[in-house]
Amino acid sequence: MRKLGLLAVVAMAAVACGGSSPSAPTTGSTIILGAPLGLTGSLTKESTLTQQGYNLWLDWINARGGILVNGVKHPVTILYHDDTSNANQSAVLMQKLITEEKANFLLGPYGSAATATDAAIAEQNQIPMVEANGAAQSIFNQGYKYTFGVLSPANKYLQGVIDMAATLNPAPKTIFMLSADDNFSLEVANAIVTYAPTKGMTVFPLKKYKNGATNLSAEVQAAKAANPDIVLNSGHLTEAIAINKAAKEQKLNAKIFAYSVGPSTPDFITALSKDADYVYDGSQWTPQVKYTPAFYLTVAQYVAAYKAKYPTEGDPDYHVAESTAACLALQRAIENAGSLDPKKVRDALAALDVVTFFGQIKFDSRGINIYKPMVVEQIQNGVHHTVFPDTVADAKPKYPTPSWDQR
Amino acid sequence: MADFVQLVILGLLAGGVYVAVGVGFGLVWGVLNIVNLAHGALVIVGGYITWQLFSAFHLDPFLTLPVDAVALFVIGYALQRGVINRIIRAPLLFTFLLTFGVNLVIINILLLIFGSDFRSVTPHYSGQGLELGSVVVPYVRLASLAAAILLAAGLAFVLNRTRIGLAIHAISSDRDAAQLVGIDLRHAYAVTYGLGAACAGVAGGLIALIQAITPTAGEPYTLQAFVVVILGGLGRVSATVVGGLAFGLVEVFGQSIPGSGSVFANAIAFGLMVVVLVTRPQGLMGRLR
Repeated sequence: MRKLGLLAVVAMAAVACGGSSPSAPTTGSTIILGAPLGLTGSLTKESTLTQQGYNLWLDWINARGGILVNGVKHPVTILYHDDTSNANQSAVLMQKLITEEKANFLLGPYGSAATATDAAIAEQNQIPMVEANGAAQSIFNQGYKYTFGVLSPANKYLQGVIDMAATLNPAPKTIFMLSADDNFSLEVANAIVTYAPTKGMTVFPLKKYKNGATNLSAEVQAAKAANPDIVLNSGHLTEAIAINKAAKEQKLNAKIFAYSVGPSTPDFITALSKDADYVYDGSQWTPQVKYTPAFYLTVAQYVAAYKAKYPTEGDPDYHVAESTAACLALQRAIENAGSLDPKKVRDALAALDVVTFFGQIKFDSRGINIYKPMVVEQIQNGVHHTVFPDTVADAKPKYPTPSWDQR
Repeated sequence: MADFVQLVILGLLAGGVYVAVGVGFGLVWGVLNIVNLAHGALVIVGGYITWQLFSAFHLDPFLTLPVDAVALFVIGYALQRGVINRIIRAPLLFTFLLTFGVNLVIINILLLIFGSDFRSVTPHYSGQGLELGSVVVPYVRLASLAAAILLAAGLAFVLNRTRIGLAIHAISSDRDAAQLVGIDLRHAYAVTYGLGAACAGVAGGLIALIQAITPTAGEPYTLQAFVVVILGGLGRVSATVVGGLAFGLVEVFGQSIPGSGSVFANAIAFGLMVVVLVTRPQGLMGRLR
């Protein structure tokens, strides 16, 4: 008899729970996101950082039951495939993700080259791709309607350094610009060649080198012969390290050394130890920036969440943050669209204007975020500090850089 | 003028690394007739050994070079006996496929162990140099060149003055005749590949000093070793030394051409290789066989 009574209570409880109020969200189908990444090959490091950024958001959104679409919560899964750091392979995998694995939406690969090939696939299939690691404007000058980049475009990468230099005393006057010969690096470099003269600075003829070069002694020698106030490099981590090593060996001294990509990663400091000090870089984001987000985490919460999930990695660098931001843009667009229809989400992305921990996310007519500023970082005593613009800076620039003999 | 002298010095110093990378590659190619596409990966294994010893035990990177050589010799010997010996008489395409596969396996093992982080060996004297007026000679690169020349001399000594070296020469001249006079082919092959790998290991130790390494950083060096060996000529260590130094000079002078010379530095080096192949197929220093 007691057993029967217990059963009755359980049955009543079950009915009560089942008859939920109409306002509480129900669980809908899983949203599949596809992302080819260079998990092996030359871009493994950067691709892993990208994946960390995606996964950080994935954990957060699924802990909340998923993305809310018209009162229904859709859990999210991200399908990753290894494109072996090969742009063509990335495009092949993107197509596979769309046709065979039925991805609802796409997240970008790492790098401008793979993003360019993947953007064509997204366009052909009319599936929105939100990307965070392809900054070359050439991707966005194709008239594509389905590719959106949350990061500041390539031409902005080193402009902040020039703006900062213009405020320093004694004012630097001459610039030696080195650049790798890939699309992204050349866009960064050419933007400086046209921008610096507007700030009263003279740029020596651009010195291009082969993308991925490890021996840059002749280039550094050319810079030394020019004796510039500022040495700028537009390339990648490998070349940034090679140039800094050669600069010390060959006694190339300048008031400012700034590299587009490289110094912001912890590897730059571990590889060069003290020689990394005084180097500037243009950064999409730093853990010191001050933005007031409309949703998701604050900057401090984001840094803490990253350190909790990846305790051995230190602070998140900007590759991680921008990748998370791509997910946030897609999430907000799906919510705003109130639908999983690719066309409606695409339109919601085009209309998006929201501030996140990463800064403002808003796309121009080409699909790139020209509204978020770049910041300038400097390595001081082995630690990254944000030094420009003043509104987000946590330290003053250490200027001028002392000569190699006096360090 | 000082600029010219500086470029010559930088070119020769850069050539030191190419010598180190080239001698092992040339040995394996010349004797075993294997274009070893895993050479670059073996180079980077040496780089990681040097980095590990330097960062964990603060051993001077130049003192780690013998460790690189011994470790890589063992790896190379085992690799040849266990894997590569199976295709030793197979068509060239099979050797390409197998060594490329070995290359991928090594890279992925390195990725598993060390991850994809950039590592670099930066001793306290890194970046210092001898200043002769306006010309600078960086110590690390100078010592690297010296180490590469010593490595080449050591290899030449082994090949020309020791019993196993003479056996290797004999195989390289006539495999069947060598077997007839009682040379243990499998052992001699494995020693050859081991020596090639040992040279790669030393080259890797030097490379970790002058650039940041990742598991995939060795790939360009396979290609460069190929050019160096063709430039110098197959079959003699001294020829590879000349090839390596010539490659370093061509690279640096190519890069210093005003405008976009750097972008074409590789094209210039490969162009020179084609010219050498057309006009002197035996290489700058090679002998016709």
